[in-house]
Amino acid sequence: MNVKKLLFALSVLFLTIGLVACSDSKSSEGKETNEETNEETNEETNEETNEEGNEEEGTTLHVAALESAYGADMWEKIADSYETTNENVKIELTIKKNLEEVIRPNMQAGEYPDVVLLATGRPEALTETLMKENGLENITDIFDQKVSGEDSTVNEKILDGFTDTLATNPYADGETYLAPMFYSPTGLFYNAGLFEEKGWDVPKTWDEMWELGDKASEEGIALFTYPTTGYFDTFIGSMLYALGGPDFFNSAMTYEDGIWESDKSTEVFETIEKLASYTEKNTVANANPNDFTKNQQLVLDNKALFMPNGNWVVDEMKEAPRADNFEWGMTSIPAFEDGGDRYAFTFFEQIWVPSAAENKVDAKDFITYMYSDEASSIFLEAGAVQPIEGITDQLDGQKQIFYGIYDDEDVLPAMGTFASTEPVAGVNMGDTLYGTIGSVISGKITIEEWRASVEEASDKLREAMN
Amino acid sequence: MSLYRWGGFSNTKEFVGFDNFITLWNDVDFIQSFQNSILLIVVVAIFTLLIAVFFAAVLTKETIPGGNFFRVIFYVPNILSIVVIAGVFSAIYDPSSGLLNSIFGTLSLENFQQMWLGDQDIIIYSVAGALVWQAIGYYMVMYMSSMASIPPSFYEAASLEGASKWKQFTNITLPLIWNTIRTTLTFYIISTINLSFLLVKAMTGGGPDGSTEVFLSYMYDQAYGNSTYGYGMAIGVVVFIFSFALAAIVNHITKRDVLEY
Repeated sequence: MNVKKLLFALSVLFLTIGLVACSDSKSSEGKETNEETNEETNEETNEETNEEGNEEEGTTLHVAALESAYGADMWEKIADSYETTNENVKIELTIKKNLEEVIRPNMQAGEYPDVVLLATGRPEALTETLMKENGLENITDIFDQKVSGEDSTVNEKILDGFTDTLATNPYADGETYLAPMFYSPTGLFYNAGLFEEKGWDVPKTWDEMWELGDKASEEGIALFTYPTTGYFDTFIGSMLYALGGPDFFNSAMTYEDGIWESDKSTEVFETIEKLASYTEKNTVANANPNDFTKNQQLVLDNKALFMPNGNWVVDEMKEAPRADNFEWGMTSIPAFEDGGDRYAFTFFEQIWVPSAAENKVDAKDFITYMYSDEASSIFLEAGAVQPIEGITDQLDGQKQIFYGIYDDEDVLPAMGTFASTEPVAGVNMGDTLYGTIGSVISGKITIEEWRASVEEASDKLREAMN
Repeated sequence: MSLYRWGGFSNTKEFVGFDNFITLWNDVDFIQSFQNSILLIVVVAIFTLLIAVFFAAVLTKETIPGGNFFRVIFYVPNILSIVVIAGVFSAIYDPSSGLLNSIFGTLSLENFQQMWLGDQDIIIYSVAGALVWQAIGYYMVMYMSSMASIPPSFYEAASLEGASKWKQFTNITLPLIWNTIRTTLTFYIISTINLSFLLVKAMTGGGPDGSTEVFLSYMYDQAYGNSTYGYGMAIGVVVFIFSFALAAIVNHITKRDVLEY
């Protein structure tokens, strides 16, 4: 009995000690952090007062940006140079590769960043979620404002067409909620060296494409491959543009009734069905997040001629082995008839202000600064290209080939994405329109079934348009 | 939360009652992911159970050279991260240079060569294969420990009576480890539900065209990718009830009198 009591007493004692120890360390940690922040702010205020004399206390602007292939350094430089011109603003950066995972919990707790650079079309779809919940600030007015530190307005600097797409005006009402940032043209990538060696011409229409496909298959080369079905977003977008121009594209993106059952859309479905028979046989098996580079490797190894991609693929496959005379080439999606318009989709990242942000005025000023000569040259140094007048002249070598794709007389830029709707449970247009292609290529479902399911999803989403 | 229409950020919550569950009932994609999950649970549980019990019996009862070496080999997959397993298996299943197709190629069994990760009828079994491979070691160790505690005198008596190895296994080993097997059945359900999500996310991304989507990955897609957090939570509720009920049922139908020794 005594031993039991002793044990019990001991365990209670240990438990208490443990609890006390834990709580103690926590509160002291808390104190430390408080002290640290106090020190920091003190230092900052001291510095500021030293520098500027009697300046009033400045604002802190929280900037969150996705760390992409361009690296995090350029953001540090941007923050520094913005702070030097705007001395009462302190920039606090959050630059992360998994930005969604970092800022989502904070945002749910009510701590919103003031400026966010995060594109649509990411798997976690944070930007889309805010669009659908009307959580973005209307920033239409910044385009008439002067660029921070310069005399010209934002509109004068941004390339035409970039601010009237569904990717910047998600509700299709002429109001802009997202500003265009780094852009990259997408299209069909191929080995220019191989085409030269064989004496093939890069096809401009689908008919020429099929001819080339037959020629290539005699040599054991497949015409087509794709990294994952997600890459069809720009591919199908360009096809829609080529079929009926911006009007047709926009009516498809705003879920117009019957649009997917029209004759024009049928051509899209039929072309992809035909393309399926020209697709490299291992493509579907490798079209997943783990193996998609194997599909990209097919082009480097001269096993497939074309793949839809963006210019980031050059960096992505930088280390990969390749055929001897390999040289990246890029062309637009072919036209449907001889001499018809061809389009190459432009993908761009967006910068936006959450409507729950604290310092909206400063945030908007910061966005205008993004288009200044100073900022754009910092970005350009890191390889990030913004849609600013005259920027293509500053590019060199390979980059100029990709960004100069629109210099070709009948290649036009295509932009935009599906209009934002209220969230609809169980309906995902991307999965229905692009994901299903895996089944179409493996012959699992017919294009009629595919078309019907796309139209059905379109019907459901139309009802949910904001 | 499952009773709300909600995108995940607190300002626009709308109470919709059981609407999410009604939508769920008619959602073909959810039903497909549900079927995939059940198939995985059944296939993985059966195969892991058979293989793990077999090897456990061999390694405890027989003295084979290098027995300890095999114990280690079988257990290694279990300490690997699931992402590593995804990498290993996508190399094995590679259509042109993969281990599996190469072996069939050298044995001139071209008919057996498959698009392991491309053919939608096969791919779910490819996923199951990877899950079984990683699970065997863990369960084998469990069965071995419970087999090792069976007194050897039982087997001596049985062999004096002239019982074959198989008879010894079915009449002595199996009844005496039955309780361990029952416990592990519940583990199979829980771990398959969890690990299949991780493996699918890393290896196939749910594709091609949703053919390897399991219910947790579908829940994730809906809650985040499709901005329907409330709907995702409704899926979560269904998954919870399902796994709880399944575990209860399995526990109930495998109930036997516990044999003591």
